[in-house]
Amino acid sequence: MKSLFELTKVEFKLTLRNFPVAFFSLVFPVLMVLMFGGIYGNKPDPFFGGHGTVDIMVPSLVGAIIAVTGLMNLPLTIAGYRERKILKRFMATPISPYYVIVSQVTVNFATTLIGLLLLAIVGKLVFDLHYLAQGPAFILAFLLSIFSIFSFGFLIASVAPNAHAATAIANLVYFPMLFLTGATIPLEVMPKIMVKISKILPLTYAVDLLKNTWLGNKVSYLQDVLVLAVILIVSLVISLFTFKWEYE
Amino acid sequence: MVVEVRSLCKNYGSVRAVDGISFDVKDNEIFCMVGPNGAGKTTTIECIEGLRKPDSGEIRVLGLEPYREKEKLYQLIGVQLQETSYQDSIKVWEICQLFSSFYKNPLSYEELLKKFELYEKKNSYVSKLSGGQRQKLSIILALIPNPEIVFLDELTTGLDPQARRSMWTFIKGLREEGRTIFLTTHYMEEAEYLSDRVAIMYHGHIVALDTPKNLIEKSEIEEKIIFEADVQNTEDLKSVNGVSNVQINKGTITVYGRGKDLLTNVVNHLQSKGINYRNLQTKTPNLEDVFLKLTGYKYEEDKSEITI
Repeated sequence: MKSLFELTKVEFKLTLRNFPVAFFSLVFPVLMVLMFGGIYGNKPDPFFGGHGTVDIMVPSLVGAIIAVTGLMNLPLTIAGYRERKILKRFMATPISPYYVIVSQVTVNFATTLIGLLLLAIVGKLVFDLHYLAQGPAFILAFLLSIFSIFSFGFLIASVAPNAHAATAIANLVYFPMLFLTGATIPLEVMPKIMVKISKILPLTYAVDLLKNTWLGNKVSYLQDVLVLAVILIVSLVISLFTFKWEYE
Repeated sequence: MVVEVRSLCKNYGSVRAVDGISFDVKDNEIFCMVGPNGAGKTTTIECIEGLRKPDSGEIRVLGLEPYREKEKLYQLIGVQLQETSYQDSIKVWEICQLFSSFYKNPLSYEELLKKFELYEKKNSYVSKLSGGQRQKLSIILALIPNPEIVFLDELTTGLDPQARRSMWTFIKGLREEGRTIFLTTHYMEEAEYLSDRVAIMYHGHIVALDTPKNLIEKSEIEEKIIFEADVQNTEDLKSVNGVSNVQINKGTITVYGRGKDLLTNVVNHLQSKGINYRNLQTKTPNLEDVFLKLTGYKYEEDKSEITI
């Protein structure tokens, strides 16, 4: 257990030293809130069902953070470690190679959580952010979204034949999800066709669930929960059969 | 015996990478597998390290079955893999401390860094180290478990001659500490200089296994003595004890023969006959000649880097 702790500690440091990951998961979302909050403020707006811009943006941006950690950093780190034989080097030590996976999931989970806390703190201090969730609904939504999107990211690491392919797939998945799921740009401002496209992107359901639970909206969460649960299970099952520790 | 290998076979698809090899490694020796790229050295060492599952055959390392008893094994052996890299932006002390946490009784990595003259690089990023420094780090990581056996796979490949020489000194030092060293290389002169015993591998087979000295002696490859002189009659020289053949080419004479007194005998003969000789040099057979004789494979041509 000591070795798992040490590994996670080091990997967390390395994630913070990875500029694009640290910037897009911790700094960029805060900048977005400061910018749009600065323009529109956080007054109740009928366009957003009576909620303020910042109140809508914060839970949505949590979806954007999950996309950075789960769809980019997680699969690219694992695929990279495999290609560069870092995984293999760990396999020639007494630790279980699963520690590497566990530490990566933990580190990306922690990074996402810190990103959320930074958003919440800045939102509260600058724009009087409202947290309207009923009981643990948002926390459960947060956990389900993370595990579902992380599993999808892990699937990328499992099926990609090499690190180069993993990068290509991750980018293909990440960018549409960043812009077309409501994570950064509200779906409310999009034309109907874009909203239709958003329905095939897994992150849309995470963003919708995070937003509705955060705002305490009295709507059914069933569809979002079901879609995310199916993505979680299907990704894990396929990964179980396709994941390799080493490229042949 | 610290390593015992019996009839080890390993295939990749239809390619038989290792074809039924058997050998032992003795306690506290430097054992070297040498051969061209693709001979099966890395496959063999990785089967012994428990990283690959043999298709058939038996392996015991310190009495353990490597593939099945990995966790125990890795407390007792140190491993350096061919072409490993390390995480982006990790620092030297961080990776050392991380590896220390994996073992029950780790050696002090600070001491190891000092010993390998890497202490001043403690706070550097691993990615900023030179090739030689990075290989030193990979030995340090292999030594942190305080291993009984150290496995070094192509440790000096890609290093400049000076860095390679310094690596050789460190490897000899490891044996003096009582460790067993199992290394692979495709440099013949490295195998000849370092090893107590050498296994020559070719196409998945061990074609010879002995001390470098015995391999050279048993190969019966002749020594060459080359000099310039005005000699017309070679019959005299041919009668010198140990000489088997003499060739003359435009004033350059090459004498072939065997025996430890060959050079003395030839020189004495020349002096007694009052023959003036110039630019005398001898060519004693080396491991590369042995390899060429055993396999018919011209070694210098092989400069490609293929990993199996």
